Amino acid sequence: MNQVGSVGLIAALAFAAYGVVAGAVGGKLRSRRVVRSAERATLAFVVMITLCVIVLEILIFRDDFHNAYVAAHSNRELPVYYKVAVLWGGQEGSLLFWTWLLSLYSGFAVLLNRRKNRQLMPYVISILMGTGTFFTSLVFFAANPFNELSLVSATGSQAFRAADGNGLNPLLQYHSMVVHPPMLYLGYVGFVVPFAFAMAALITRQLGDNWIRTTRRWTMVPWMFLGLGILMGANWAYAVLGWGGYWGWDPVENASLLPWLSGTAFLHSVMIQEKRGMLKVWNIVLVAVTFFLCIFGTFLTRSGIVSSVHAFAQSRIGPFFAAFLAIIVLFSATLLFLRLEFLRSENKLDSMVSRESGFLFNNWILLAAVFAILWGTIFPILSKALQDVTVTVGAPFFNKVTIPMGLLLLFLTGAGPLLAWRKTSFQSLKRAFAGPVALAAVAGVVLFSAGVRHFYAWMALFLSVFVAACTLQEFYKGARTRMQTARENFVQAIYNLTMRNTRRYGGYIIHLGIVLLFVGFAGQAFQTEAKGLLNEGDTMRVDDYVLRCQRVTSGEAPNYIYQRIELAVVKNGRALGTLQPERRFFPASQQSTSIVAIKTRLDEDLYAVLGGPDPESGKAIVEIFVNPLVIWVWIGGVVVFLGTLLALVPSRVEREMAGIRRPREEAVAEKYAL
Amino acid sequence: MLALAVFAALAPATAGEESAKPTLKSIGELLVCQCGCNYGLNSCTHNNCSSDEEISAFIQKEISEGKDQPAILKALVGRYGVKVLASPPAEGFNLAAWILPGLALVMGLGVVTLAVRRLRRPPPTATAPPAPPVDPDLLAAIEEEMKQVADA
Repeated sequence: MNQVGSVGLIAALAFAAYGVVAGAVGGKLRSRRVVRSAERATLAFVVMITLCVIVLEILIFRDDFHNAYVAAHSNRELPVYYKVAVLWGGQEGSLLFWTWLLSLYSGFAVLLNRRKNRQLMPYVISILMGTGTFFTSLVFFAANPFNELSLVSATGSQAFRAADGNGLNPLLQYHSMVVHPPMLYLGYVGFVVPFAFAMAALITRQLGDNWIRTTRRWTMVPWMFLGLGILMGANWAYAVLGWGGYWGWDPVENASLLPWLSGTAFLHSVMIQEKRGMLKVWNIVLVAVTFFLCIFGTFLTRSGIVSSVHAFAQSRIGPFFAAFLAIIVLFSATLLFLRLEFLRSENKLDSMVSRESGFLFNNWILLAAVFAILWGTIFPILSKALQDVTVTVGAPFFNKVTIPMGLLLLFLTGAGPLLAWRKTSFQSLKRAFAGPVALAAVAGVVLFSAGVRHFYAWMALFLSVFVAACTLQEFYKGARTRMQTARENFVQAIYNLTMRNTRRYGGYIIHLGIVLLFVGFAGQAFQTEAKGLLNEGDTMRVDDYVLRCQRVTSGEAPNYIYQRIELAVVKNGRALGTLQPERRFFPASQQSTSIVAIKTRLDEDLYAVLGGPDPESGKAIVEIFVNPLVIWVWIGGVVVFLGTLLALVPSRVEREMAGIRRPREEAVAEKYAL
Repeated sequence: MLALAVFAALAPATAGEESAKPTLKSIGELLVCQCGCNYGLNSCTHNNCSSDEEISAFIQKEISEGKDQPAILKALVGRYGVKVLASPPAEGFNLAAWILPGLALVMGLGVVTLAVRRLRRPPPTATAPPAPPVDPDLLAAIEEEMKQVADA
């Protein structure tokens, strides 16, 4: 089976390399035959990488410990659903998984553009397969998951089969870990498609808004997956790591946030190009930066150049990534420089107070945040290299630097949509802002009177009210107009309004989700905690909660042994049930992990961690956190997800426009014979 | 409001904390556990972590001797090196860690302002001929059409 996997990788590499050449040559020679062969090579690449993934999963499910990867990352007792996750549980498998997702995106890009974007597609294929060639080479030459175990002795090496495997990293044995990495990878990998279209547009000098229109959904999909992946990771950290929070500004967390932020800037900035034909250079820069950051994030996670709690997938593949990053920068910067004359702005800015300038300021803050986070993340490397001093750049730094930026962004989230395209008069500005500002002012006073004294938390909640009011006002105003003109009731009006412009109203729903996220973030300022040593019958108190230890038990599950404590929870005299945090020990990997018990409510989470037995007293060490408003982070994430899904649905107007555009695109395809 | 946010960003957020009586928790938030877990001292999840216990005991001793937060942090740096701090001290080369994000923010604002100026339509000159009168109905119809296109 290992040989089948390796042969599959070689074949995939050959198809990808052919796709690079055939795409470029076919585009240059305008040869339909060559371009079609490049498309078929892309699809063959999909088939071959899919075959490799299937082979590796078979090896994992058959407990084939002759395979080095399976022996290192799986074991016999591992539950079935975690065996699926073994594919991305280690370096080699996760790189293969990355390549597989890349192949799927490439395959879809080819299939969905068989009669569209015919001038761009040869070069799009070439760039997608260029990335495919890099990753397949990496998998085959530097991190091959089909290597076999062997015993090396004086007489030579001999095939070896381990009796059992080391097992999957215990931290990864959690239900959301089965979904979190695929979501994150779908995000990272997916940005390759808009990048490929942008570069193809530069190569072919087709620099109108066609590539922007085509890639809008190709950008939103990875942006959505990346956001989901980040939130699932945060949820995992919250429920498994047991330190009471969900975001620690770890380098690997930061690496995933960077392309999400630059992708957000791109999604806003493209609207200026679509509507006004401006910022063409900037949009190319943004899409290239986003792709660069995706590869940089993968490099950061895997190279081991920064200390991270995510140390489960590190090896010496850093130099390969560094070279690829250099190629991306050189390639995109050179192309951009050569095509600058075709990227002139078609329009001028009419006023400083306009939607366009609102987007520019949004881009300013987002990119400043990208820089600040990137700078903080790589600063320890610079410090070590330049002054030979190991420094840590952790949560206190990032909180101090990024929270004000986050608040400015939150303000723009509400204010931006109130500005009109081209120019906003003072009168309309006053009309649009009066209600939300008044409402936010009332909320600010109420919050202050209620004892909210933490400046950032107060500001976040105050701005949340402002942004929510701005956004809901837009829905209300639109619905009111429809109720008057189309004689619809309020529900009908909201529905028709939204479906008529899914992009705009989907975007507003995303903004509401962002508001909820900030409400959740604000709650962190009011976290309280207590630590106690408990035996059966002992109690401890935190805030208004009293926790009584009812039972301490231990036992054995197929893959681990555990110690569990049962805590009866009472708040202000009212029984709220029990919490059962666990400590698990995994014999296969000789590692232990905690399973946090959380009682979730809309106002706060009660969060219990079992630290194990105290060496002196033998009592159980229990840590309790009261985390206000955390659930709003997860609800906000779901709202952002739903808003994105809505924005992906073609609106009525868009469907009509597509109908008009299609014959023209088909005529172009025919004319250029590609 | 924006000015307030920026002001808050520039003001050292720890100023208030430094003058308050230090606690194990408040100091622990500014430190990294030295066991290799890469978590903050208050967040180390290792069972009976010896590094966590050692640093915590040291802090307790320093607090009981009546030392203030800067003095305790200085003593910790002397003992474990600067890597024990969760953020680099604002001195020497490490000052760059703190300055550059703010500088980038300001420079970014400069770039955006410059871009806005360059992109901005020049105001009509005095010598330009007066615009011919436009039929208000036609203007309203155009504006409506443009709004629909913009909404699409």
